[in-house]
Amino acid sequence: MATSHVEVPGEPTHTGTAMVETATAAIQSFAPINKIHQHLCAYYDTTLSFSRLSRLHIFHFYGDDMSRQVEAHHFCSHQNEEVRQCLIYDSPEADARLIGVEYIISDVLFLTLPDEEKPLWHSHEYEVKSGALFMPSVPSAAQRQDLQKVSRTYGKTFHFWQVDKGDPLPLGIPQVMMALTRDGQLYDSLAEDVEKRFGMSFAKEREKRAYMTGPEHGIHPLANAAGKGIKLQLREVHLSPSESVPRVFV
Amino acid sequence: MASSGQPSKPTPTGQGEGPAPPGKPTTVESHVLDMGAKMLQAMKPIRKIQQHACTFALYAHDLTRQIETHHFVSRLNQDVLQCAVYDSDLPTARLIGVEYIVSDKVFEGLPAEEQKLWHFHAYEIKSGLWACPRVPEALSKPELQDLSKTYGKFWCTWQVDRGDRLPLGAAALMMSPQGVNLGRVRPDLVKSRDENYRLSTDELKASRLELPEPDQWINPNADYWKQHGKGFALDVVETEMKRMAPFP
Repeated sequence: MATSHVEVPGEPTHTGTAMVETATAAIQSFAPINKIHQHLCAYYDTTLSFSRLSRLHIFHFYGDDMSRQVEAHHFCSHQNEEVRQCLIYDSPEADARLIGVEYIISDVLFLTLPDEEKPLWHSHEYEVKSGALFMPSVPSAAQRQDLQKVSRTYGKTFHFWQVDKGDPLPLGIPQVMMALTRDGQLYDSLAEDVEKRFGMSFAKEREKRAYMTGPEHGIHPLANAAGKGIKLQLREVHLSPSESVPRVFV
Repeated sequence: MASSGQPSKPTPTGQGEGPAPPGKPTTVESHVLDMGAKMLQAMKPIRKIQQHACTFALYAHDLTRQIETHHFVSRLNQDVLQCAVYDSDLPTARLIGVEYIVSDKVFEGLPAEEQKLWHFHAYEIKSGLWACPRVPEALSKPELQDLSKTYGKFWCTWQVDRGDRLPLGAAALMMSPQGVNLGRVRPDLVKSRDENYRLSTDELKASRLELPEPDQWINPNADYWKQHGKGFALDVVETEMKRMAPFP
């Protein structure tokens, strides 16, 4: 249920490596490094839209197993008003593992997706309105402005690292994830744990969010895996042309 | 159902209208909210991203489909890196996937079935394809030596090269450039990258000649297509969902 804290295999980062990477001013002779570092940080700020990131806390479960539930810490940026892209970590801490990605789109855009694509996407209305989906550290009233928008969106999520299973590395194939859609799905113990850690009450938030509305035309019947289970499966394919395998003898 | 290998059907918003995703421009309100969030919310895992590398990748189900990628790298420990991968380094960059990079030591500990999903980085580094824009090569050198002995696992979640204006279909496995056959990156892609970033792949290659050839045994399970002529595709399949409550 809660994220397991299995050690990632490997040695702790060597000092030399860390210094090169952080380009710290500790390397006295490399005066320009600090400047490069600052410049790079500013540059990454622009590229990764650091100035436009916001965090969302969302619960996911596996598309083939509702009993495996994970906290997904989303770091999201807007491509535009109707499209967001999120990096998903297993915690909000500096040593967090990057475990997946989510794309969030408006209900208007969702309706333009081919029917065979729709089951890969899940609705957010329930999770927002229940209080379980929230923006950590943002005052409740300020959150609601954005969350009203989120409650009308659909998300598409892949997880690559099954930390809840205790995997020490990202093993296997990507997992299609789903979100909560009604009362009774989320484990009470997980809910309470999160409420405690973030100092909030889902029930109180639910009351305050009662006015919110979901997708304009209701939740599409093909969303949320069309109510079934969904997963990815790996298949070997023949690569063409057949010369793909290097020949030892020409 | 949808497979990572299938061409996508065009959405009614139409292809060929330019690379930006469909949707209204971000409103001032959203910008203000995001800026407010940034002030209040700690972004610790994001702050750990301290490297940008520009390189190339090939789809594991079709090596003729090749893309330029922008890896934003953070280090978990001496042996493991994780990368958020984008299609450019501009503010409009689309998040197209995630790559994990591990040392050969860690890789050898993986089961054979798992190893098949990974690719080796030596050629990519030595050929100069893997480049760190804006960072002096001298600064990158020590790290490149270690990187050239690593294995990567790269899942692509948005196939922008086939014109998808939104992320469609299953995630796709990616492979790394190699020095043989279908592993070679198209010269026009390299040229375009070099022009955009004022780099010379050839010069990088020359400066990296002194990097030792990885003389350790390269695990034959990696770069699976080279030995077996087979790639990997992912299909979306319907299945039973184990459930303790009604869904949806």
